[in-house]
Amino acid sequence: KLGHPSELPPEPAPDYEGDEPFLRRVHHVLLEVEVLEGVLQCPDSGRQFPISRGIPNMLLSEEEA
Amino acid sequence: MAAGGGRYFCTAGRGLEPFLAREVRARLGATEVDCVSGKVFFSTEAEPGELRKLKSGERLFLLLKKHTPLAVSRNKGKMLHEIKSLVIEEPKYWLDVISIWRNFHGSEGKKDDVSQENPLPLKRKSEEETNIATKRQKTEQVRETVSEKCQVKAGERCVVPERKSDQDCGTESKTSLEDPSKSSGEKPIANEQLSFSFRVSCRCSGAIAKILTSQEIGRAIGIVLMKQCGWRADLRDPDLEIFVHLNDIHSVVGIPLFRLPLANREYIKTAGLRSTIAWAMASLAEISAGAFVLDPMCGLGTILLEAAKEWPEACYWGADISDSQLEGADVNIRTAGLMDKIELLRASVKALPLPSESFDTVISDIPFGKKFKITKDIQLLPDILQEMERVLRVGGTIVLLLSQDLHKRMGGVTKCAENESPNAISDGASETATAKALNIDGNSSSLVNGVEESFLSSRHTRFGCLVLDGVYGVSLGRTDAFIYKYRKISTAGNR
Repeated sequence: KLGHPSELPPEPAPDYEGDEPFLRRVHHVLLEVEVLEGVLQCPDSGRQFPISRGIPNMLLSEEEA
Repeated sequence: MAAGGGRYFCTAGRGLEPFLAREVRARLGATEVDCVSGKVFFSTEAEPGELRKLKSGERLFLLLKKHTPLAVSRNKGKMLHEIKSLVIEEPKYWLDVISIWRNFHGSEGKKDDVSQENPLPLKRKSEEETNIATKRQKTEQVRETVSEKCQVKAGERCVVPERKSDQDCGTESKTSLEDPSKSSGEKPIANEQLSFSFRVSCRCSGAIAKILTSQEIGRAIGIVLMKQCGWRADLRDPDLEIFVHLNDIHSVVGIPLFRLPLANREYIKTAGLRSTIAWAMASLAEISAGAFVLDPMCGLGTILLEAAKEWPEACYWGADISDSQLEGADVNIRTAGLMDKIELLRASVKALPLPSESFDTVISDIPFGKKFKITKDIQLLPDILQEMERVLRVGGTIVLLLSQDLHKRMGGVTKCAENESPNAISDGASETATAKALNIDGNSSSLVNGVEESFLSSRHTRFGCLVLDGVYGVSLGRTDAFIYKYRKISTAGNR
């Protein structure tokens, strides 16, 4: 979902620990990619929180709080 | 002036002296640490680079002289004579001072090589006479502007004011002395060589201030130095500044080591809270490696920046409801190069999108009651504290900065598990620290309205409870504030 669909498989391969190119790509996505504009989605409720300039807006509306 | 190492003193905002004393010991291995109101004296062999890193002090000085307070006499002339004797020395003394100062500044400073000059004044008389005449004129002018800044009253200590850029604290007076190269047209070349410039900054309070003003003292000392050393006075951008502080405790002469106050951080673009206080708060939080630190009302992020700089092996999170503040915080974080250490969220402190017990410490400057009167804001405080407590793990700390108003209403009151018996914990590092754990039904003399009552009783111990671990009064310049430190203990009373 981060714009690297062609680089990463949907799930890790069984022996992913030894697959260095894979590990490098995961490392990049996890630690080096900063989402500047995008969305954070709550896995439970599906509620989406917008991210702008790298900062997620997690303010709840009156009804949600 | 020892060869290896030296003796220094550092000014500190009121209330921060114990923090500074602890810091010089820890950071610089300082010895002979002597803490007085507004200053910490110490000896160390640390290099200037290390000295520059001091975080809880205002300005750092090399100590030249420290004497017992001057004998006060009603005779102004006699007093001035005494004061002048503070700075009268063999010429070599002041040359040594300059060379030491130059070592600190490296290649900073002007090109003229002072050490090659003839230290004794050549033909100064005619210049002096011109000086004294024109100086009087100038003093009248300067006095108007200076008297606004210089609020020295007998018995009142000078409080460190708001941040000033590239200038001394506004409470110091400055002498106004005519630049000799302007008044005497002759010998411009000779003047250039002898044009080492200086300024005397004088602070005076207590018994002495009843007899003489800082301006008078500063001027007298300035004249003596000009006569002795042949320097010229420069108010705006002197080579060397001589700092004189006379009060009922001591008479101190020193030279500042750095142009800018220590509180000016080159890594902070826009400051919110004063950096010294932000650092002091972080120093109370007990941040260890791998700790998770949260500021849920981070504003421009000053506290997080100070903490992340000093304790980089922790994870820092900041939240704020204001977009513009977060934007400023983002700029600050990028300027400081701390993007991989500090994470920002736009969120409400009353509903933090963070898991329970996920942080080791929560540090925050509570914004209420400082600029405006507390009205309904104080009713938010229970919700705020509840959320802070929720996200905090047991054993974690909360460090808050409260305005004087809030402090009065809190009155050292805290919430506690029902079985806990009151006990007093005092933190030796602060003179004003008191710590009490009170029963929910326990006595609290400072409850003034129903808000606190309900606040106390509604704080159910479902998440544990907070025990007050210290209160430290600090000066913010015009107002006072209080640092509160809490620790979360479990409901069973175990940490």
